[in-house]
Amino acid sequence: MGERRYGLYVHIPFCQARCTYCDFNTVTGMSEEDHRRYVGALIQELRQEHPPGAVLTSLYFGGGTPSLIDPRLIATIIEAVRGWAPLVDDAWEVTLEVNPGTATEEALTAWRDAGVNRLSIGAQARQPSHLAALHRVHDVDQIDATFLLARTAGFNNLSLDAIYGLPDQTLAEWQETVNGLIALGPDHLSLYALTVERGTPLQRQLQRGVIKLPHPDLVADMADWAELRLAAEGLLAYEISNYAKPGKESRHNRLYWELEPYLALGAGAHAYVPGRRWWNVRGVRRYVTIVEQGGDPMAGEEILSLSEEMRQFLWLGLRERAGVSRERFRERFGVDVQAAVGEPLADLVARGLVEENPEWVRLTARGRDLANWVGQRLVDAPITVRTSE
Amino acid sequence: MDQQHIRNFSIIAHIDHGKSTLADRLIEVTGALSPREMAPQILDSMDLERERGITIKAQAVRLTYEYQHQQYELNLIDTPGHVDFTYEVSRALQACEGALLVVDASQGVEAQTLANLYLALEHDLTVVPVINKIDLPSADPERVMEELLDIGLDGTEAVLVSAKQGLGISAVLEQIVEKIPPPSGDPVGPLRALIFDSRFDSYKGVLVYVRVVDGKIRVGDAIRFMATGKEFMVTEIGVFRPQLTPVEELSTGEVGYFAAQIKAVQDTRVGDTVTSADNPASTPLPGYRPAQPMVYSGIYPVDSEDYTRLREALEKLQLNDAALVFEPETSAALGFGFRAGFLGLLHMEVIQERLEREYDLTLITTAPNVVYQVTVQSGEVVRVDNPALMPPAGQIVKIEEPIVEAHIITPTEYIGAVMELAQERRGSYVNLSYLDAQRALLQYLLPLGEIMYDFFDQLKSRTRGYASLDYQWAGLKEADLVRMDILLNGEVVDALSSIVHRDRAYAKGRALVEKLRDIIPRQLFDVPIQAAVGSRVIARETVKALRKDVLAKCYGGDITRKRKLLEKQKEGKRRMKAVGSVEIPQEAFMAILKVEDPNG
Repeated sequence: MGERRYGLYVHIPFCQARCTYCDFNTVTGMSEEDHRRYVGALIQELRQEHPPGAVLTSLYFGGGTPSLIDPRLIATIIEAVRGWAPLVDDAWEVTLEVNPGTATEEALTAWRDAGVNRLSIGAQARQPSHLAALHRVHDVDQIDATFLLARTAGFNNLSLDAIYGLPDQTLAEWQETVNGLIALGPDHLSLYALTVERGTPLQRQLQRGVIKLPHPDLVADMADWAELRLAAEGLLAYEISNYAKPGKESRHNRLYWELEPYLALGAGAHAYVPGRRWWNVRGVRRYVTIVEQGGDPMAGEEILSLSEEMRQFLWLGLRERAGVSRERFRERFGVDVQAAVGEPLADLVARGLVEENPEWVRLTARGRDLANWVGQRLVDAPITVRTSE
Repeated sequence: MDQQHIRNFSIIAHIDHGKSTLADRLIEVTGALSPREMAPQILDSMDLERERGITIKAQAVRLTYEYQHQQYELNLIDTPGHVDFTYEVSRALQACEGALLVVDASQGVEAQTLANLYLALEHDLTVVPVINKIDLPSADPERVMEELLDIGLDGTEAVLVSAKQGLGISAVLEQIVEKIPPPSGDPVGPLRALIFDSRFDSYKGVLVYVRVVDGKIRVGDAIRFMATGKEFMVTEIGVFRPQLTPVEELSTGEVGYFAAQIKAVQDTRVGDTVTSADNPASTPLPGYRPAQPMVYSGIYPVDSEDYTRLREALEKLQLNDAALVFEPETSAALGFGFRAGFLGLLHMEVIQERLEREYDLTLITTAPNVVYQVTVQSGEVVRVDNPALMPPAGQIVKIEEPIVEAHIITPTEYIGAVMELAQERRGSYVNLSYLDAQRALLQYLLPLGEIMYDFFDQLKSRTRGYASLDYQWAGLKEADLVRMDILLNGEVVDALSSIVHRDRAYAKGRALVEKLRDIIPRQLFDVPIQAAVGSRVIARETVKALRKDVLAKCYGGDITRKRKLLEKQKEGKRRMKAVGSVEIPQEAFMAILKVEDPNG
């Protein structure tokens, strides 16, 4: 048996207020005592459900708002994780998602000291009107202040998030947002096209017609403009929505696209190991109660056949600019990509959406624009070879 | 039962005026069913009938009623109310001596009330007016009585009822016995029985619904259908209580059913006369005509593998519906399917809905069209029931299209709006008369093809929902018509061709390509949409190529959900039809019905 390498995701579901577009597993209005009990449950879940013997490559605190809870709780979790599994090497990545309205100088230092080495700061927009409309809890100055304080505290790997295609957003506003963020000198950027999720306040506002989304072609212009602008700054698109200076790509997030294993702690958190995905109960109180009583908080699982893994390997892997490595595919599945999905692949190549050479299969520029369309072709593509399992 | 103690009647009404509820009450009060057995709209047995509040198949029920110490047999024949089924209604009415004309106490006389009244009078029926829903706060029975007077009925004699509350029901029963004459007819003459409906039973074969006019019919009799000449041996006779109840015989004036090992309803034409094979009558009962489809539409499975299932489903529906006709058809765009003929738009919708619902088929149906009679250079007259098959313009001498006489009742303030609509639809004015100070009856001759294009919805929207419409067949008329084709990506899509008036072709073409531009989703490449008459392109739009289609976020907790999303999106595409390399949603084939003529 080789060493088991994993990423670890830790879900911190607490938020000060709920953003209008958000459909993640979050709760508002919890007390510090609730935070403490929840963190206690996280550590208990780690010890109960995950036997030692793993080697960790990355740790990711996502939310919710991980920056909302007492930094000492984050330190406690990191300590417990390090006591449970050795780190792969010094390059291991510990990311914490930060909401600019919640980060103080003391907190930044505390995270730094606890071992956090990467922050993902949710800026989203640089117009007070858009921030207010989205129910963000911070203003534009707090984005800049948080970023600069983080640099002062010694963080050399900082990411910023922004959203385009916001209701009534103009191209000029989007350019202002991107330019403002670039001026800070981030190492990494995530730019997301706004997705209207079911059951969110945003969806209801759109339904009632009080706001309206920009035309899809304008949204496409926003994306195209940003990609060019960031390339000029040396921030390269390494995934559909992610840009980084070389070497600053998110190590943890790449696990997801490359079908590498990750474990997960917390309410509603999802984990994957080859052949299986599973997830915990969503409710925070239920999660805490189950774990405190010594139970397994798992709520569901999905067993993946080898064929299904091959398909996911492809449509997830194609999200990355570098595409799918044929060698990794062969190592993993014992066959070449061509033998497994030759027919749909040939069709995508003929349509100019995918290109290939002996080393890789990847999306063309047009294919990157239509990654969803490509994904639809691959999500239930027939797998034409049988491999010995 | 001797003829003097039989009454055969029907209930006629405008939609939603309470026909089915009144029928329910009559059944309940005479004790034909116990309260436990009752269900609302008891005579409408199809789910679709109950959901839509309409009657599609005729039904009958025998009620036993005691009046002044005498037993009476009352046969209620329930008829479909919709204009599509006018011929069926007329046959059901011919089986009766009287009709209850139900009018809503607040709505008053409507177009369908009138159309049905005229039908009843044509058959010399005694009409008993009933004003229903008198319990409603908005009820105005006096006004309705005046309206009845205006259409030639003695409104003061109308029975006031609330079928919902059960008020006035016994008065209705008394009037049926008092006013409606008993059946005449020769009890000892050769058998003549009128077929007013039939349905297929998998054990007994076709059940034929009849009214015996002369003579009698018994189990074991050899009978003949006079229109088709086919002969059968009667194996069962029964009456409706309302469940089928076998009896020994049906005598003169009675209503019931018989079975005779008949395999197909096509042998038992509504309106045909049943006589004795051994002692046949010399002449049939008057008024029979074969069912004539008025509206045609292409029906195609989205998945070509469903073709056989679709054919089987159509065959099954046809077992019960002699008016449904279909034959195989191929379309360059849609593949293998069927061209089906219907009595009208409601009939078409009902069939299409039943195919999808009861047989779980996903279908593409093309926009309905009427049947054109085309005279070509050779002098030959051809029937064209598919626009794509219209002969080339150079070969055509003349095209005739079906015309209907429409009766529209509207509040007087909307007369102008209704006339405008009728003009837009190439209507020719016939008459305007006033029912009372508030309401008028407009008569127009209109091409049936124009009525199919959203006419009823337009009528409703331009009169704030107040106008009502009824129409009847009025022959064929020559018109300057042309075939308009639609090209996608330079290719003619035969299933999108339509027949339009030459003067409207530009406006229709423009409106249709704009509509299609909105309906057809963006594809990987630009898709030009053109409307053309002959080789001339008259309108053009482009569906611009898709620029971006990406899932913005895909992280660890999302992957299962995103996979399901991708699968769902893919499933949505499967419901579209790939025509050449263009994926077209089902609704595109109906788009022509929804375009508003901007110049109209």
